Amino acid sequence: MPITFKELSHEYNLGTPFAYLALDHVSLAIPEGKVTAIIGETGSGKTTLVQHLNALLLPTGGELEVAGRTISSNEKPKHLKALRKDVGLVFQFPEYQLFEETIIKDVCFGPKNFGVDEETAVQLAEKYLRIVGIDESDFHKSPFDLSGGQKRRVAIAGILAMDPQVLVLDEPTAGLDPQGAKEMMQLFSRLNKEYGKTVLIVTHDMEHVLHYCDEVIVVADGHIREQCEVHEFFRSVELLKELKINPPAVIRLREELREKGFQIPDDMIDVEQLIDAVASEVKGHE
Amino acid sequence: MAKIQVCDISFSYDKETNAVEHVSFQIEAGSYTTIIGHNGSGKSTIAKLLIDLLEKDSGSIIVDGMELNDENIYTIRDKIGIVFQNPDNQFIGATVADDIAFGLENHQVASEAMEQIIQTYAKRVNMSRYLLSEPTHLSGGQKQRVAIAGVLAMAPQIMIFDEATSMLDPQGKAEINEMIQSIHRETGMTIISITHDIEEVSHSDHVIVMDQGHIVMDGKPEDILLREKELVALKLDIPFALKFTKGLQRKGISCRLCTTMEGAVEEVCRLHSKN
Repeated sequence: MPITFKELSHEYNLGTPFAYLALDHVSLAIPEGKVTAIIGETGSGKTTLVQHLNALLLPTGGELEVAGRTISSNEKPKHLKALRKDVGLVFQFPEYQLFEETIIKDVCFGPKNFGVDEETAVQLAEKYLRIVGIDESDFHKSPFDLSGGQKRRVAIAGILAMDPQVLVLDEPTAGLDPQGAKEMMQLFSRLNKEYGKTVLIVTHDMEHVLHYCDEVIVVADGHIREQCEVHEFFRSVELLKELKINPPAVIRLREELREKGFQIPDDMIDVEQLIDAVASEVKGHE
Repeated sequence: MAKIQVCDISFSYDKETNAVEHVSFQIEAGSYTTIIGHNGSGKSTIAKLLIDLLEKDSGSIIVDGMELNDENIYTIRDKIGIVFQNPDNQFIGATVADDIAFGLENHQVASEAMEQIIQTYAKRVNMSRYLLSEPTHLSGGQKQRVAIAGVLAMAPQIMIFDEATSMLDPQGKAEINEMIQSIHRETGMTIISITHDIEEVSHSDHVIVMDQGHIVMDGKPEDILLREKELVALKLDIPFALKFTKGLQRKGISCRLCTTMEGAVEEVCRLHSKN
């Protein structure tokens, strides 16, 4: 079952002079089993949108169906705990939320909260710490002795240890170095392909959208501006311009060369194909 | 003479392993230097050592002809401004104007003069409209611009940007990068930018590459960025233009290797129009 938003609105500070409509009658279906990118300018409503997925925010209008449950504006959701187990939400800079004495204890916190016994929790923690790439020799160290990127992996392992069906990540690579960011994106891709998780990623990085995501949802001013497949998205350069999106390098080069008169198809998004196309055109001139 | 001369400095946080080890480099007056390296390579430690926020264990640092020591540290700090990574951790004032005034107040600038200085630098970073705004109402990019104004107001000769754009959205990043370049162009100030952005590196004059507390490469970006294997081994990015022009060479096209996008477009057009 896809995650479905039906006419969902969210207004902050409802009924006060500071009321602010962050999401305005949003209708949306997010497919299961895919990696979906949620993009849009700062302040467009992306974070508000994803925080509804595990009922951290409740709609002020409309409703949403996720993981077999309905969350609507006029009733308190039942079985909130089970929902939060099924939908794992990783905040921006999750490393600030680490708190335990040791890495392994930090990761055990989530599963134990959901009623898993100590031994199983430790097994889960070890499994997911390995998956995110934390060295076994570090398991009993303080999480605060790790580098920023490593801390973030531990925080993500903490969410994974609850074995959610849906994994929602709010700007998971912000502030990481390029290699760290790449490894992080590869991890999410693996969680999707090997473990069948539905992955939603809020991001500003178009290279990541191009290389690791299947679908794109563009949020603008509290509305869904666009939803399409990644390939389709990077084809329409007009839309990218309108949305003030700096396209991935391969698209920028493709467009510059097309402007200079090269005969390159507008759906080309792979660097090797672009090299082939340019090479054969240059050779043709020799 | 070089603006900054660093001779054989070492520093350790825990007195066991060195975060920076036997590092020496020079920065020319008026140059735009980028320092790159993966997380934990020692880049930011270098920035903090330059302004004596961390005290080096050994070696010497000479800024503008003066060797950094306990007596002249404040004179040297007046010459160097620094903008840090996190926009929220360096906003001190209750409003934009207060924040720009912070350094001036510390230097006991007369309040009449201060007013004028604040206006000038708020304007310089396009924040004049927001002088009375509180930080909670500003975007990350705007907060970084205020931080830059605060530093510019102190009229430094050297500006250090310590990953000043890494926590910003693409728009904020572009704004700050443009601002750094225009400050460099207009004032001729010496700029040191610690960054992960390989595109920024390709537009600088000088690049220093760090790994495990050592300098592993030091030179012009157009030379360094061609050393693909070494960069990849250091877990660094290589410019897209280089990947592309290398790919063309593999296909038997005799094209020059380029490190910037503009360069690659120009090169391909040159080949295309030949004959």
